[in-house]
Amino acid sequence: MARRPIPSRREILTGASALALGGALGARPAHAEREVTPHQKELYELAKKEGEVTWYTAHSNDTTAQALGRDFEAAFPGIEANAVRTTAQVAYQRLTQEQKAGAMQVDVFSSTDIGHYVALKEKNLLEKYLPENSTKLIEVYKNYDPDGYYTVTSAGLIAIGYNTAKLKEAEAPKNWPDLLDPKWKDKIALGHPGFSGYVGTWAVSLKKLYGWDFFEKLAKNNPQVGRSINDTVTMLNAGERIVAGSGPNGTAMESAGKGNPLAMTYPPDGSVLIIAPSGIPKGVKHPNAAKLFMEYLLSIEASKIWVGHFNESMRPEVKSLNGAKSAADVKTIRPTVDEIVNGIPEVIKQWRDTFGV
Amino acid sequence: MTATLDQIAPAEGALARRMRFFDPSMILWIALIAVLVFLIASPMVRLVVSSFQEPETHRLTLANYAEAYGRARHLQALWNTFQFGAGVAVLACLFGVPLAWAISRTDMPAKGFVRLMVFGAFIIPPYLGAIGWILLAGPNAGWLNKVWMGLTGAEHGIFNVYSMTGLIVVVAVTSFPYVFVFTSSALDLVSTEMEDAANILGAGTLRTTLRVTLPLVLPAIVGGLIISFLEAIALFGAPALIALPARFQVVSTQLWQFFEYPVRVEQAAAYAMPLLLITILMFWLQRRVLGRRGYTTVSGKGGERRITQLGPWRWMMLGYALFVCALAVFLPMLVLTQAAFARAWGRGFSLDNLTLNNFRYILFEQTQAQNAIINTFVYSGITAFAAISLSLAIAYVVTRRLVPWSNVLAFLCMAPFVIPGIILAIGFYAAYAPPPLALYGTATILILAYTTRFLPIAYTSSAAGIRSINPEMEEAVRILGGGRLTAIRRVLAPLLKRSLAGAWILVFIPATRELSSAIFLVGPNTRVISVMLFDLSEEGNFEVLSALGMILLAATLVIAAIGFRAIGRDFMVRSS
Repeated sequence: MARRPIPSRREILTGASALALGGALGARPAHAEREVTPHQKELYELAKKEGEVTWYTAHSNDTTAQALGRDFEAAFPGIEANAVRTTAQVAYQRLTQEQKAGAMQVDVFSSTDIGHYVALKEKNLLEKYLPENSTKLIEVYKNYDPDGYYTVTSAGLIAIGYNTAKLKEAEAPKNWPDLLDPKWKDKIALGHPGFSGYVGTWAVSLKKLYGWDFFEKLAKNNPQVGRSINDTVTMLNAGERIVAGSGPNGTAMESAGKGNPLAMTYPPDGSVLIIAPSGIPKGVKHPNAAKLFMEYLLSIEASKIWVGHFNESMRPEVKSLNGAKSAADVKTIRPTVDEIVNGIPEVIKQWRDTFGV
Repeated sequence: MTATLDQIAPAEGALARRMRFFDPSMILWIALIAVLVFLIASPMVRLVVSSFQEPETHRLTLANYAEAYGRARHLQALWNTFQFGAGVAVLACLFGVPLAWAISRTDMPAKGFVRLMVFGAFIIPPYLGAIGWILLAGPNAGWLNKVWMGLTGAEHGIFNVYSMTGLIVVVAVTSFPYVFVFTSSALDLVSTEMEDAANILGAGTLRTTLRVTLPLVLPAIVGGLIISFLEAIALFGAPALIALPARFQVVSTQLWQFFEYPVRVEQAAAYAMPLLLITILMFWLQRRVLGRRGYTTVSGKGGERRITQLGPWRWMMLGYALFVCALAVFLPMLVLTQAAFARAWGRGFSLDNLTLNNFRYILFEQTQAQNAIINTFVYSGITAFAAISLSLAIAYVVTRRLVPWSNVLAFLCMAPFVIPGIILAIGFYAAYAPPPLALYGTATILILAYTTRFLPIAYTSSAAGIRSINPEMEEAVRILGGGRLTAIRRVLAPLLKRSLAGAWILVFIPATRELSSAIFLVGPNTRVISVMLFDLSEEGNFEVLSALGMILLAATLVIAAIGFRAIGRDFMVRSS
């Protein structure tokens, strides 16, 4: 793409917002030359006629999703990006509704519950598209679906978060079982697997490590159950709760950068690594824009934004920010695809019986 | 339907002679039935039928009921909902009736201000109020609890918003304006003659108020009570914010679960049935208790309304009014404003915590917010006009008993109240989203759903307005040779102008904040503010959320003000 000498208002705003995020985007030159391959140019020409792309995403918090949407618009002028951020189960609900009604609104679907893609693929409801950029990913993210129906586009860590104004580092829980200590009664915040794909995968991982018994005991500590995993960060910021049992690394670190009293501990038994793919559902209205957006999500620029918002980089070229832990720095655990696919519906049921909601 | 009356009215001049002999009510009736069937009966029938169907085969079955009621958790949610609705209704009356009486009938000071605050309570969406109250009464971090702990040195706060009581209070403070509006408009119409009669016969002020004035407006109070109850049990946003962390379910949050993957519409339909029965029961009760009494108190004969001197008690009354206003408006708005302008709301009120970033984010960086703001007000405005035109036509037909079985029309109009917005949306979704209409993701389906959802409010206002006008005035027109449409145009419409302005705002405002029916029907290009707020609330982004809430409130205020200047007298802010 040709370099444009005058930055648009959106670019300035994006840049300014980035600077506000703890200088996160200081690392990101506002006008780096983007690599645009002939294939992408071709997609861009076709996508321009479609004019827009609608992205249902549970991959990040809203701020990050909007920053990606705006950066995509800046990279490919003439294509409007509608970034709709919800929890994974809500995004899936909307997608299945649209499919039932035969009126597709979504173009790119980014859930954090891998089970969604397996189910969609089984029913032949995904468009096959293997992005060109998928060969340039960090090794662990490559070839997630060998058939090319969905591709990993983001990853994040779940560990334990705590409010540093109320808790010294030495007092904070170190490992997952520490959360069961009665001294944390009424002090823990959790997300809900019935909403959040992150929390669902987290629950599957911990159930695998410690058995469901872990959650029975956790329930005795009367944790506050929100919806999104990001909600736990709000509860810590507010001082309503002081430990996030399912603490999203990205959102927590970003919030800490804004001046909130937050820190993370990474359990020796392993932080939960979430690998989240994106795919293009069958019958979308803007197929070329969707493909282009998939390419964009795997671009260096997108990874810089991910990293700027303390999520994992998809590309080996982009390193994590100073001081922020990434999956490479800590011990991670992660259930297999099969375990997630079968495990999440199961833990949602068990969760409802154990926690009552 | 907007056109029904308007279209027929111009024809009146040319066809005046024939109109005198031909009453167009049958055509009107058929048209109204058709619209109501489209808006209400068809989605509802689909709902009922599907509750007895197997998902794929459509064979008859009772399995959905067995599934829906087979779990103790689901039954508990039903019971919770009943408690919740009853609690809200009672509390809304305790808030609404005294305020209405004080403003309409007494010399309480600062009436205009209290009215304004009640109006403020009305435009604050329940989920926004709920967020305000989470910030106020969160058990550990809520401002009120912090103040309490600071004052007493106690280790724990005394308020816990995450409880049934918390939920009831939060919703009651946003729904008492219904009771207030109904009661005060009825009080405004009750002439003092009857109170004077009681006084002359030796009754004191209190006795007169309790035995004469309030019983006269009982239908209005009961109407407000029923609407608060039904509105509360159909809410989705506030329970999702408060009941989930409090670890209990109500029907609406339980219904949401049926729509998680795999979607179980049939079970949801089965699960929604008790609410339908409850409403039918309530209307039956209302009819039974109040039906036979006559309450026509406005006639063409004039009558005056005098205010009661409260003496020193008027300050007590003002104190109570301000207490209610504090719960409903001052306190939540204070903390929401703080959050909207805060970098991190938990850091409290300080200069270095001030920022405009949240607004900038919403207005310029968020890819959807600008459209959502415009959509919200356009859809709500159209909805208000549509709902009022339709309900006015129906209310007239029903009250004047122009056609047989007119009560069926009334029932259909009121029925949407009982369908939780979520279920209504699913009915609409099932009926009109797929081809041939293929309305999914369009503005049309949202406006239709909104119109249906708010028809009961529009209808209640319209019916109350028409009922309060003695038919003798129209009869006078007809005796003098005017047709029914002349009577409507020349007598009824001018008399109802204020009621209609009130009804417009009563529909417009809830429409701007409507969440539960929107949530399943919006597409990315038809998003509205409420759905955006809901999505933002999932991750607890309270600063940005409060900023968007502020924009919603400010814009609603401005549009409502313009609306009333245009239509006629202002509404709740007038000084009596």
